[in-house]
Amino acid sequence: MGLSDGIGFKALTDRVQYPNLSQFERPNVITTTVDFIFSWARSHSVFPFTYGLACCAIEMLSSGFARFDVARYGMEVFRPTPRQCDLMIVAGTVNEKMAPVLKRLYEQMSEPKWVIAMGACATSGGPFYDGYNVVNGVDKVVPVDVYIPGCPPRPEALFQGLLELQKKIQTMHIVPPVPTGAVRPQTAAGPAVTGPAAAGPDAPAVVAPDAPGGATPDKVRG
Amino acid sequence: MLPAIGSAGLAIDDVADRLVAALGADLADVRVQEPDTVVAAVERGRLHDVAVALRGLDGLAYESCNFVAAVDHVSRFECVYHLYSFASNTYLELHVEVPRADPSVATVSDVWPAADWHEREAWDMMGIRFEGHPDLRRILLRDDWVGHPLRKDYVDTIDNHPHV
Ligand code: SF4
Repeated sequence: MGLSDGIGFKALTDRVQYPNLSQFERPNVITTTVDFIFSWARSHSVFPFTYGLACCAIEMLSSGFARFDVARYGMEVFRPTPRQCDLMIVAGTVNEKMAPVLKRLYEQMSEPKWVIAMGACATSGGPFYDGYNVVNGVDKVVPVDVYIPGCPPRPEALFQGLLELQKKIQTMHIVPPVPTGAVRPQTAAGPAVTGPAAAGPDAPAVVAPDAPGGATPDKVRG
Repeated sequence: MLPAIGSAGLAIDDVADRLVAALGADLADVRVQEPDTVVAAVERGRLHDVAVALRGLDGLAYESCNFVAAVDHVSRFECVYHLYSFASNTYLELHVEVPRADPSVATVSDVWPAADWHEREAWDMMGIRFEGHPDLRRILLRDDWVGHPLRKDYVDTIDNHPHV
């Protein structure tokens, strides 16, 4: 499990909003937040989209095979259709004829979705920078989460990019965070903390839709 | 490079001699350039007839068109056809001069179907029109691209990149 390996553990413990991981040492019972469990699952089961465009694709393929073995990070399920993927690894040179296709494929991926620009070409155009038919970086077409330098990057570099992406995924919120100023007086006041809002440590997040940013305690009570 | 002796048993000088004997009126500058390659120049207007004749040469039929290249010499263009003869195991390089003012030449895609996409690429990159081509569209660039980027006088402008 990703939680027990050193890298995953470090990435998680870097984040103060996550619960005390010593809970995982006890058998069978885990209490945690929805945020944590979703982002933990998501970050360790990324489905990459097979999007090799040029020489970098060879390194991407090589990272999938036994010697480098991307399966160690739970990301080995490369899919040839965008509808089953949540990560697009743009591995290679994007040219202008491909750019609209790439955009369409990105839009066909279901949310939440991420993009890795692998190599100098996808990052900035690389050796073909300013070429007449080359897009100078895939970020001109779709939003990019992680850039991996190199021409081509070794599989280890791709893995580092994937681990950075894992960290990024783990900071996502399923339930929107609540401004602390709106919540504290309310819980202290007592009357508002009834029904679902009193469910437990997750209560502030549940209240969130009723108390959008900047709501005063008075409004919440009324 | 190995001396090229095909099943016809022709040495490369014999191949050149036979080409001159068969098509001497149309071929200019016939010379042996490599141990397996003969080079010749053809008039633009005679290209198609020469292509048909080369394909039908007895025992020396150039049955394969390996590729069609286009060259920008600034004052003129040039099309280069690389042909291969299985019978003699030799290559023939046909050079055709194309004036810059009227960059057009007859298609050979009806003689060698393989030339079809090569001629489309030459049109796409160099802007040479192949008269009689069944489907002369751009092949590599976007359909709405303006200009032909491998020409020496091509100037790229921002207007050419409306999509990114
Ligand atoms: S960055 Fe280098 S290796 Fe990667 S696609 Fe571009 S040219 Fe090829």
